Amino acid sequence: MSDYIIEMNHITKRFPGIVANDDVSIQVKKGEIYALLGENGAGKSTLMSMLFGMYEPDEGEIIIRGEKVKITSPNHATKLNIGMVHQHFKLVSNYTIAENIVMGMEPVKKTFGIFKTVDMKKANEDIRLLSEKFGLEVDPTKVIENINVSMQQRVEILKMLYREAEILIFDEPTAVLTPQEIEFLLEIIESLRRDGKTIILITHKLEEIKKIADRCAILCRGKLVDVLDVKKTDTKTMANLMVGREVNLSVDKPEPDFGQEILKVEHLTVQNGDKFEVVKDVSFSVRSGEIFAVAGVSGNGQVELADAIAGLLKPAGGRITLNGRDITESSIRERSLEGISYIPEDRQNVGLVMDLSLSDNLALKNYFESPFSQGGVMAGNEFVNYSDKLIEKYDIRSGQGSSTIVRSMSGGNQQKAIIAREIERNSALLIFVQPTRGLDIGAIENIHRQIVAERDKGKAVLLISLELDEVMNLADTIGVIYNGKIEKIADAKTLTPGEVGEFMMGVGGRHEKE
Amino acid sequence: MKKNDRTVLQKIVLQTIGHEKRQPVMIPLFTILLSLLLGIVVIALLGKNPFLAYYNLLQGSGLAPKASYAGHKGMITDFTSFLNALTPMLLAALSVLIALKAGMFNIGVSGQMLAAAFISTVLIGYSDLPAVVAKPLVILTGFVVGALVGSLVGFLKHRFNINEVVSTIMCNYIVQYVVSFFINVFFVDPISRQSKNVGQAARLTLTDVVVGDYKMDIPLGILLAAAGVAAAAFLLRKTTLGFEIKAVGLSSKAAQYAGIRVGRTRVLAMMLSGGAAGLAGVTYYLGYFSSIQPRVLASTGYDAIAVALLGNSSPVGIVFSSFLITVISKGSTYMSSTAGVQAEMASAITGLILLISACGVYVKEKVNRWKENT
Repeated sequence: MSDYIIEMNHITKRFPGIVANDDVSIQVKKGEIYALLGENGAGKSTLMSMLFGMYEPDEGEIIIRGEKVKITSPNHATKLNIGMVHQHFKLVSNYTIAENIVMGMEPVKKTFGIFKTVDMKKANEDIRLLSEKFGLEVDPTKVIENINVSMQQRVEILKMLYREAEILIFDEPTAVLTPQEIEFLLEIIESLRRDGKTIILITHKLEEIKKIADRCAILCRGKLVDVLDVKKTDTKTMANLMVGREVNLSVDKPEPDFGQEILKVEHLTVQNGDKFEVVKDVSFSVRSGEIFAVAGVSGNGQVELADAIAGLLKPAGGRITLNGRDITESSIRERSLEGISYIPEDRQNVGLVMDLSLSDNLALKNYFESPFSQGGVMAGNEFVNYSDKLIEKYDIRSGQGSSTIVRSMSGGNQQKAIIAREIERNSALLIFVQPTRGLDIGAIENIHRQIVAERDKGKAVLLISLELDEVMNLADTIGVIYNGKIEKIADAKTLTPGEVGEFMMGVGGRHEKE
Repeated sequence: MKKNDRTVLQKIVLQTIGHEKRQPVMIPLFTILLSLLLGIVVIALLGKNPFLAYYNLLQGSGLAPKASYAGHKGMITDFTSFLNALTPMLLAALSVLIALKAGMFNIGVSGQMLAAAFISTVLIGYSDLPAVVAKPLVILTGFVVGALVGSLVGFLKHRFNINEVVSTIMCNYIVQYVVSFFINVFFVDPISRQSKNVGQAARLTLTDVVVGDYKMDIPLGILLAAAGVAAAAFLLRKTTLGFEIKAVGLSSKAAQYAGIRVGRTRVLAMMLSGGAAGLAGVTYYLGYFSSIQPRVLASTGYDAIAVALLGNSSPVGIVFSSFLITVISKGSTYMSSTAGVQAEMASAITGLILLISACGVYVKEKVNRWKENT
């Protein structure tokens, strides 16, 4: 028997038009932290989905603990003690933590000796013990929708542990967390390893890999490029191997040249569907040639702020001025024509009509204008010409070019399509919400360069991001939002990441007062 | 799954409907064939000749010659009569289709048909207007009344977020009983117990027209239906309104984000859907028939839902699917009199087709899964 707990040999998986994994072989030792690094669409998730039984490989074999297996379903994978935390959590939001964890294998008791019912008391107790054992304290009776993202992630981890998983797969676990939470998660992963678990970490954040991984497999366009000993390799080499070329990790940013005020937000208040104030009396302005970044932890009103400026949400109070014109009451279309481009956070449900073609989506905001339409009748070839042009210019990759249904494209290319569409509209104000979430280094670098280029063209850029690094790298001015209020607005150069982090947690500036 | 443990059946299925590009056509064909096969089994179990029965269906629809004809009748008269029945089906399916594209289920086609036909009957059908004025007016009234009912449904959804399935079903009941009341009180024909026949001038079908040796019914409405199909295809493929309807239907959030007025688009789509249903109504009650039976909704409106789905929600597709469904229903009378197979059998086969076509998505999924594991 070999000393590898997992061996995936010569795995090939094809999807229509794409080879997602091309003869990939990886071996993972028991008790190690093994990172999978690669750009979006490099095939990391596909490879792990096959290990977790969501797909079957076209070619190649999977050997678990020295035995060749055919993993046909996630249930089967669970039986083999493999667990996976998906990038998007799979939790029932109105169930308690304990209910979510035991779901599918509930402890059962017989009420009156006849009726089988779920023994919630036992379940709660089991979960409490389990969470204490692994240092992942949770209150089993809390309902999922009332706990924050990092707590939800803990629930996902506990779910795997409850099923006695020995091999834990984490798919982009830090994408949704704050710096402090990331720190804590990495500690958890470390301690799980100490308990003898084997961990596979899918990520494209190099620092994390550097910090905790033992070995790192790099995938590029479906092929295995190299397997590296993390201790002996520097991040720059890893980044280059992953993208397949030299990358520039820091953003080259010339000194800003601020022009006139483009966007002015005064005392803006926004309520959500439950009449709850999520944006409270927010005021700021963005000048031409300026990147104004809103930093904050997820769920502090950023998305609603952006939606209100773009017109998707009606503000409950305050004033929004664009280019000196009051647009508080304008419709979405009027604002868009007036000069707002908006890259929304939810690219799949909001930014794109997934079942329309790429060319339709690229013209989604212009389809009614000349040259696309004349008197309500569309000129189909204009759509294709325009889309061909953008595909070329922004390097949008897809199976069938302009006629590709957007749903079939990779996440990174979907985002490229949205950014291409919004930048090409040549608006005075560009709103980017989480523009690089879930994207790989190559794509992030590319988008960052585009954002800076737009600023240098004299556009006003409002950047809303949960990634502190992104904010620090790009911003000329930083506004930190906490609990719906802008806590601090300052020149980016005068703030350190630590200070911004404190404001993000709502504890900023306390030392000064003391 | 390895290659060798695939069955012959799977191979055949993959060969025929495995190809992604051909699936929109092949899967409906597959479901139809499967249902016809099942129909054969059932008819054979009844001890009748299934092929003869199927041939009777074609004969009854004027698509194949009968053994003998009554005076002034022939294959051509059977066929025009078939077209007469096809017209409302086609328009009703069009109505369902437009709503579907905007992401809504118009269950109320039958009610919209009835409302449009009743108003047209009362306003124009019983008037003394000459044919050249009356016929266009019937069409116009039918469209407008249907569109009004449809836009009411769209408005309720937009303004008060009332699910269109609920409001259309309620509308069906309201229309059905209100119309019955008026017919029974004011317009009833004491012998037939239906509404009094509309005048010939207002009817959209020319009856007993003598052409050569034949006396036939000529449905003018079929031209209207053909124009409707062409207009819908143009609307959905070539106009900005069609683009907006599709975007709203596929993702209302993304449509809103793109600046499309989602509510207005929904109301417009329901208005057009209702308009098409209104046209179906007038070609049905003032064309195929000439009177309204109180307290009964035409089944056409419900069949149309299935016809639209079977036709893959495409304007061209529904031409074929409504043709098929109408052949089966229209030919059933002849089948029962000749082959001795009850006319209900035809409805059963229609039911089978619809049932199996509803599984189309499943079939597609399954086939693609097999293909993936090749």
